[in-house]
Amino acid sequence: MKKRFVFNACISIMVIACFFVVAPASHAAKTLKIGIVDCYTGPASTYTNDVRDAFNLEAEKINAAGGILGRNIEVLTRDSKFKVDIGLSAAKELIYRENVDVLMGTINSALALAISDMCKKEKVPFFATFSKSAKITGEKGHRYVFSITENTALAGKAAAVGLAQKPYKKYWIAGDDYEYGHAIADGVWDNLQKLKPDVELLGQSWWKVGEPDFTPYITAILSAKPDAVIVATGGRDCVPFLKAAKATGFNERVPFFMHTATELSTLKPLGLEAPEGVIGTSNYFFYYPETPENKEFVENFEKAYQRKPAVGAVYGLLAARYIFGAYEKTGAIETEKFIDNVEGMTVDSPIGKVTMRAFDHQAMLPMFMGVTKKVDGYDFLIATDIVTIAGEDVMPSIEEIKKARNQ
Amino acid sequence: MELAANITLAALVQQVLVGLSRTTILFIVASGLSLVLGVLRIPNVAHGSLYMLGAFLTYTVATLFGQSTLGFWLALIVAPLVVALLSFIAERGLFCHLYEREHMMLLLFTFAFSLVIGDLVKLVWGSDYRSLVAPVFLQGSFSISGFPFPRYNLFLLVIGPLVAAGLWFLTNKTKIGKIARAAAVDREMVGAIGINVSWVFAAVFVIGCYLAGLGGALVAPTQNITQGMDHAIIIEAFLIVIIGGLGNIWGALLGALIFGLTDSIGILLWPQFAIVFPYVAVVTVLLIRPQGLLKSTW
Repeated sequence: MKKRFVFNACISIMVIACFFVVAPASHAAKTLKIGIVDCYTGPASTYTNDVRDAFNLEAEKINAAGGILGRNIEVLTRDSKFKVDIGLSAAKELIYRENVDVLMGTINSALALAISDMCKKEKVPFFATFSKSAKITGEKGHRYVFSITENTALAGKAAAVGLAQKPYKKYWIAGDDYEYGHAIADGVWDNLQKLKPDVELLGQSWWKVGEPDFTPYITAILSAKPDAVIVATGGRDCVPFLKAAKATGFNERVPFFMHTATELSTLKPLGLEAPEGVIGTSNYFFYYPETPENKEFVENFEKAYQRKPAVGAVYGLLAARYIFGAYEKTGAIETEKFIDNVEGMTVDSPIGKVTMRAFDHQAMLPMFMGVTKKVDGYDFLIATDIVTIAGEDVMPSIEEIKKARNQ
Repeated sequence: MELAANITLAALVQQVLVGLSRTTILFIVASGLSLVLGVLRIPNVAHGSLYMLGAFLTYTVATLFGQSTLGFWLALIVAPLVVALLSFIAERGLFCHLYEREHMMLLLFTFAFSLVIGDLVKLVWGSDYRSLVAPVFLQGSFSISGFPFPRYNLFLLVIGPLVAAGLWFLTNKTKIGKIARAAAVDREMVGAIGINVSWVFAAVFVIGCYLAGLGGALVAPTQNITQGMDHAIIIEAFLIVIIGGLGNIWGALLGALIFGLTDSIGILLWPQFAIVFPYVAVVTVLLIRPQGLLKSTW
């Protein structure tokens, strides 16, 4: 019996070993390997799928035209399940076993910072695609990390620029009680105080992520009678918050700003039941800007995936344009030269030309501030009265970055 | 440390009412969990997943009818029944073979069940957020001395006592309810007098899961219907069952009241740290009465 077991075990180990030996050999043809680690499980995947899909679309286009530097692009995706340990081991696997040339991801800020740290040690370029932490290109920035998404500092500054033009004085801050919520609230409030010193903070409410019912929070805020409210909530909590706002008539009583309120992923599921008049900011709308570039992008994306692209699609596209553009320019698969070429690089995109700031590796994305409204022809609310805040205006100064990095 | 100033009586009443409507959902979900725990001795970790499934099914059924008023009522009836049917199949096919095994086995099994349902939901409905519209006459809110009170929350305030009365009737006035209560006290004895305990268990399990589905269906119009809504509710439901007394549905009612009211009043009094209030209440109850507020058998 025992002998039999040992024999079976040996056979199984040999079979498994064969896979390891055979698998790499079948990939003998040289490819340009891009690894993506992101969360494709749970509520966050509604954002991350767009990044991957838009990136793949661009990669397929280049492969169809003969690849890059004579190599085919190979995209390897791994699911982090929103967990730092799983994501980090996936990133390790991609770096050490698959030898990826570039790594991309992820929506989880803690994981993005951890991967960024690893990429710094391993000297692998890392493109942060959806993490909203300002630390990525701020305090924890380094030569091998790039961010192609807005972050809490940029969004906060953009919102403050927009809100400072409104007549509100007495504010209430409410949000998700975790890093993103506090970071975005601090970003808006610090900048708003600088731009308009007479603003006053009446109070704050903080709820847990995944809060099931916002009605008690809204009624408590209403009893304090603020002029306007800064709602620092993100992701899946936006939808129930807007529902509760509609049910209680919150939006009609007090104007409120919510960074991602105008995002397609938030407004589409609510249909025409979303509250009107909510102020929000985003890097992209499929209906704005109304340029031929954007129309073409939306058309191609819709043809491939039968849905409208949300903001993540632009991040995916930008990643592709920077990575492939820089390799084209480098003329070889050479990491250090590649990084030199990404620095300061300007690429075309549906939202116009976007430059990667050389100093901190942060893409200078424009921010669009709009107000939710019902518009004929759409079965959900869209952002209207859109004001464009240029990327240059919301970027932290190089001195601020130096200070954060203790340089 | 700043307390919200100028709390009027009207604001307090309003907040209590909002808290009570939240209590309704918590009670419906927790009572189902408690029922199953008391009679079958299964800590059903998959209870939250059935709640999520209830919400998704409500969305689908209502959407089939163009999210009309009729569709909503139909969904409210159909979705919990589908959840009940699914749990019946799971009980007869899988769970009933495990009652004689160790407790750990059952716990692990329900955990596996929750993962399977979670992935099933992801497979069928995908990762997009979904939202359901309440019927027209339940939309919006009316004013209670200047404060808005959502109509849908009022509807929940009506449903809550109805469900509680239904459960009281079931456990006190029907044969199956009485047998179930007896089985909770001494299942061998119930078997010894010739009652098919296995089918009693099946019935109780199905009723418990129906309540999870009903909770999910009722919450659907107020929430973002998405993956992950199972995790939040299962933790709260277990806390409520524990402070109420394991297995006692009236304990679940009491626990839900404590949880729902401390939550909403905490938000009014101290909005910055409101999250801790219900948990402080739970800790206090457990320090004073570690066995829960009410007896496990009733």
